Amino acid sequence: MLKIGAYFSPATLDEAVTLLAQEGRTVIAGGTDLLVNPRYMVGVREVVDIRKLGLDYIREENGWLYIGAGATMRTVARHPTIQRLANGILARGAAVCGSPNIRNMATLAGNVASALPSADTLPALLALDAQAVLLGIYGERVVPFDSFFVGPGKSVRERELIRELRIPLAYFHTIQGGFYKIGRTAEDISIVNAAATILIQDDIITTARLVMGAVAPIPLRTALAEEALIGQPPTEETFQRAAELVRDEVRPISDQRASADYRRRMSGVAAIRALRQAAGLAPHGEEWHHA
Amino acid sequence: MPEIEIKLKVNGRAVRWHVPPGETLLETLHAHHLKGTKLICGTGDCCGCGVILDGRSINSCCMLAAQADGADVLTIEGLARDGKLHPIQEAFAEEGAAQCGFCTPGFIMRTYAFLQEHPHPTEEDVRAALAGNICRCTGYVKPVAAVLRAAEAMRS
Repeated sequence: MLKIGAYFSPATLDEAVTLLAQEGRTVIAGGTDLLVNPRYMVGVREVVDIRKLGLDYIREENGWLYIGAGATMRTVARHPTIQRLANGILARGAAVCGSPNIRNMATLAGNVASALPSADTLPALLALDAQAVLLGIYGERVVPFDSFFVGPGKSVRERELIRELRIPLAYFHTIQGGFYKIGRTAEDISIVNAAATILIQDDIITTARLVMGAVAPIPLRTALAEEALIGQPPTEETFQRAAELVRDEVRPISDQRASADYRRRMSGVAAIRALRQAAGLAPHGEEWHHA
Repeated sequence: MPEIEIKLKVNGRAVRWHVPPGETLLETLHAHHLKGTKLICGTGDCCGCGVILDGRSINSCCMLAAQADGADVLTIEGLARDGKLHPIQEAFAEEGAAQCGFCTPGFIMRTYAFLQEHPHPTEEDVRAALAGNICRCTGYVKPVAAVLRAAEAMRS
């Protein structure tokens, strides 16, 4: 039994944000992080369930993909647009998050709210230039993922709920992506993961995003490596050089899953493999690996 | 602590339960004498507490009972009909797919949800589907065989 004094299940967004304005309350959706990880219950006495607010949609409109806060990992992993967008990196991140039972309850927005650097879907969201739409009593604000995360389990979200996530589809047909997770088993959290998106024009990389998970206090965009990719041809040599910079840029810790040194080395491996996928150069069978 | 009234269907029977706000669905099932669903890790990592909620397999240890208001829940107790085991239960028994047996209800409920969606699974599909179900006696060969056997039995 958890120490929860009250459970609210509001029927409207207005009601939900009003409830959340009061101290000691937090959002519950899938509950798979909140109810099992004591760090999220610190100072929380009451929960506000957002599952009855009609937020379980995924829709395309005006060049954007909108993923409601109630959309589960299962629906994200199976959505046809998400499966095609940048070689399906977000769908693949969602598909390796926990077990089937977890993916039936856990939401993508919940993974964002938990804000763990080792989360499976966050590198893909950053690589896709996603934004979070936050709703509080003072109204709505849109926060790009580049400035959303602050530290392990911490984001800029205040007494707000995540209403939806947005992904621009402007480069839908041209952007290419890669995702690589190193975990002990299929359902374990990442030891290291990497997501990359690149745009190749006339055999030259013109834009690049390379995001590493579980190797820094937040999901880390590797600015130096990205810079080194732009203007170069998508070749093994270019990727090796980027991987070297990735190893310098990451700030990993040692924990029960891996040492900092192992993470640093494997971050280069994960980065190269994500980049190879994005460039269509991944050898067969390199899409997935259990360490 | 004020209790919350929830109305749901459990194994085909409409029930009205009063639950404390912090009680998990698993604890509520136990409180109502449905003890076939097991508490093992309690952190959502082993799928031992698996039940079917509105057609999907979920972990009842990491969901509040209050969240199950209006839902249709199926537990291991709801599978047998008229004293006859469900084909999945039969298959697990026939294959000897249990050692200590504590994780078995979770395996069976996961199998139930999986076979609804995939009546013709390959062995690889089955292994992926059961990836989250942990057996600490370490016997996975026979559960996989049992799922394939159950799939065949349910097709015929």
